[in-house]
Amino acid sequence: MILRQLALRQGRRTLSAQSCRPWRRYLSSEVDRIEDSLQKSSQETHSIESMVNAHTKQSVPSIGNAIDATTEPGSMVEEWHLYQHMRNTIGRSGSDIMPHYKPHVLVNHPPGPAHISLELLLASQCHLGHSTSLWNPANSRYIFGVREGIHIISLEQTAAHLRRAAKIVREVCLRGGVVLFAGTRDGHERCVVKAAELAGGCHLFDRWTPGSITNGQQLLEHCRMKVVNEFDEEVPGFENQLQSMPVIKPDLVVCLNPLENFVLLRECGQNNIPTIGIIDTDADPSWVTYQIPANDDSLRSVQLVAGVLGRAGEEGQEARKKAAREGKITFRPPPHLEQPQAAAERPELEKGERVDPIEFMHGKRPQRADGAAKEEWGYGEA
Amino acid sequence: MELPAAAMRRVWLRSCGAASRPNVFPRGFLSNPASRRKCLSTSSRRSIAAAEIDFDGPQSAPPPSGDSLPERPQGAPVNLDRLRIVPASPSYFTARPNFTDDLLRLRQVLRRYEALPLAPPGSAPKVAWKTFGQYKGTSMEPVKVSRYNLILDVLKRLNQIHPSLVPEEVTEELSKFKRHVDPHAYKPPPPQLDQWGRAMSVGKRKSSVARVWLVEGEGEVLVNNKTLAQAFARVHDRESAIWPLKVTQRIDKYNVWALVHGGGTTGQAEALTLAVAKAMLTHEPLLKPVLRRAGCITRDPRRVERKKPGKLKARKMPAWVKR
Repeated sequence: MILRQLALRQGRRTLSAQSCRPWRRYLSSEVDRIEDSLQKSSQETHSIESMVNAHTKQSVPSIGNAIDATTEPGSMVEEWHLYQHMRNTIGRSGSDIMPHYKPHVLVNHPPGPAHISLELLLASQCHLGHSTSLWNPANSRYIFGVREGIHIISLEQTAAHLRRAAKIVREVCLRGGVVLFAGTRDGHERCVVKAAELAGGCHLFDRWTPGSITNGQQLLEHCRMKVVNEFDEEVPGFENQLQSMPVIKPDLVVCLNPLENFVLLRECGQNNIPTIGIIDTDADPSWVTYQIPANDDSLRSVQLVAGVLGRAGEEGQEARKKAAREGKITFRPPPHLEQPQAAAERPELEKGERVDPIEFMHGKRPQRADGAAKEEWGYGEA
Repeated sequence: MELPAAAMRRVWLRSCGAASRPNVFPRGFLSNPASRRKCLSTSSRRSIAAAEIDFDGPQSAPPPSGDSLPERPQGAPVNLDRLRIVPASPSYFTARPNFTDDLLRLRQVLRRYEALPLAPPGSAPKVAWKTFGQYKGTSMEPVKVSRYNLILDVLKRLNQIHPSLVPEEVTEELSKFKRHVDPHAYKPPPPQLDQWGRAMSVGKRKSSVARVWLVEGEGEVLVNNKTLAQAFARVHDRESAIWPLKVTQRIDKYNVWALVHGGGTTGQAEALTLAVAKAMLTHEPLLKPVLRRAGCITRDPRRVERKKPGKLKARKMPAWVKR
C-alpha cells in the first residue's frame, strides 16, 4: 500500500523498467539525452514565443520556418537553425556595449578623406615611428619628437599628406586612370583588395614580379585587357586589336610598404609613374613621389590609409560616371583604336603564317591558297 | 696636360660612367635593415620617384601611347572617343590574374560561411582535388606549387563543413576544383596463376631485383639457373631465399624458378624472400598473417645512404684535430 501511494505521488517515472537510471543520473552531469533535451528546448522556445507574442506588439520570428517535417529531430540542421534562432532573438539581450573599435569595420567600411582627424590617426597608431637609432634623417621634417626611445610622427603632417594623397587618387580616378594598390605584407591583402575595389583599380598583395612594368610586354602578355565605354561597360569586338596593343601600365601606384617594394617603385620612377607611399621614420622619402608619413608596421594604421585612399578613388569614379551621364568625357581615348568592323574586314594572318619584313620590303605579299596575292591585306601594291 | 693623380682618377671614372650610376643595390641590403641604412646613407640618395602630377597644366594627363586622336569615321556605330583600355581583372599586375581571382573568390566564400559547424574530424568526404599540373595546365600563368597549396588549404577547409549544411555556393565552388574521379573506384585485378599454374612476382631489397615463378612441385629451387647451394655460399642466405616456404612448411610443395640481378648476396637473398612470399600469396592468400608475422611481406625500404661532403662516409667523420 505504501508503495502504491509512493507511485501515485512520484508518477510513472519511478515505475519504469530502467531501475538503473537513478544511479546513472548521480554519476553523470547530463540528465537527459541530447535529443530529448533538444526537443524540450524547442518546445520551451515555442512556448516562450507564444507568451511573448501574446504580451508584446512586436512579434518574434518563429523557428518553425527553418525546420520542417523532413528534418530529423536532433540532427545538425535542426541544432544549427535552433542556434541561429536563439542568437537572433535573445542574442542582443544583456548589457549595452559602448561603441568600440571593431577591426573588420575598418576593412569593410573604411572612413573617407572627410573623416580624417587627428583623433582617428592617433587611435589607429599612425604616429608610432621606429627606434631613434634606426631613423632616416630625411624624415626629420615629419617627426614630432621622441618618446620611449622611438620617434613620434607629427599627425598634423600625416593628416595633411594623407589629404593630399587622397586628392591625387581622386583626381587620377576622375580622369579614368588605373590606380595600383600594392601591399605585400601579411594582413595587407584584405585592405588592398577593398581599396582597389572601391577605386576601380588593381591590387597586388603578393610579391611584385620584377619587370612587370619595364618588361611588361613579356610578363603581362597573357593577362586580359578589355575596352570599356564611358559607363564602364565592356565593348566587345576589339579582341584582335587588343592582341597588338601594348601592355597596360598603372597611372598611379599606392604602396603600403615601400621598404619591401624598392623594385616596384624604381620601375615606376623609370616609367614616369607617380607613386604614393606610407613613409615610416626609417623609410627613404625620395623613393615615392607623394609621401604619407605614418606607421607602416601597424595593420590598423595601414588599413586606415588604404581605406581613405580607396574611398577617395571611389569619389573620383563617382564623379567620372556623373560627368559621363552628363555627356562629358574626362579621359583621353587610346590613339590607335579602330572600329571593330574595319579590323575584322582586314583578314588576319593564318595561324603560323609569318611575314618576313625583308621580303615585304621587296614587294612580297602574303599569298592565298590559289596563288593570288592578298591584296585586301591593307598595304596595297608593292 | 698633366693633372694631379686624384683629378686624373676622377676624369677616368667619369669617362667610364661609373660615378653616374652609384650602386644602390648592394647585395642583401633589403634583408638587413642595419646594412640597408648604412648603405643608403653612404651612397648618394638619388630620388627614384617620378615627377609630380600636374593636373592643371596643358599636358594634364600623360597620353598612354602616341599623341594624335583617331579620326572619327563616318557613320561609326562605336564612338571611339569614349573608350578606354583597362585591365579585365583587378589582379592584372600580379601576372597571374586567374589564380589570384580564384584564391580571392574562395577566401571570400570561406569568410561568408566560416561560422557553419564542421563535420566530425576524419569524417569529411574524401575528395580528389585537381593536381597542380592539372590546375596550371588550364591557364598560361606562372603559378607555383606553394601558391596552389593556398587554394588547396581553403578548399579543404570548405570541404569540412558539415554535409547537411553545405550551401549551394560552396558546392559549386568546390566542384570546379574536383577531379570527379573516385580514387577508390579503381581496384587493380588480383594476381592470378597463368595457364601452367605459375605465380609470378617481383621482390626487391637494397638494389637487387628478384623475379620468381612459383609452381606446385617437388621442392626444386633454381636461382639464375643455379641450385641454391651454388647461388648462395652462405647458409643464412640460402635460408633467407626460401624463408617463406620454410616458415609455412611448404618447401616440398612448390618449385621455385628465380632470376635475380643487382646488388650483393644478402640483397639478392632478401629480394627472393619477398618475391617468394608474394608468389605464395597468389597460390594461398590465407597465408598472409603467417608470412607477415615471419617478416616476409614488408618491403624493406632501407638503401645505402649517400656519402656527404665533409665526412668520410655517410656518417663517419674524419679524425678530430685540435687545430
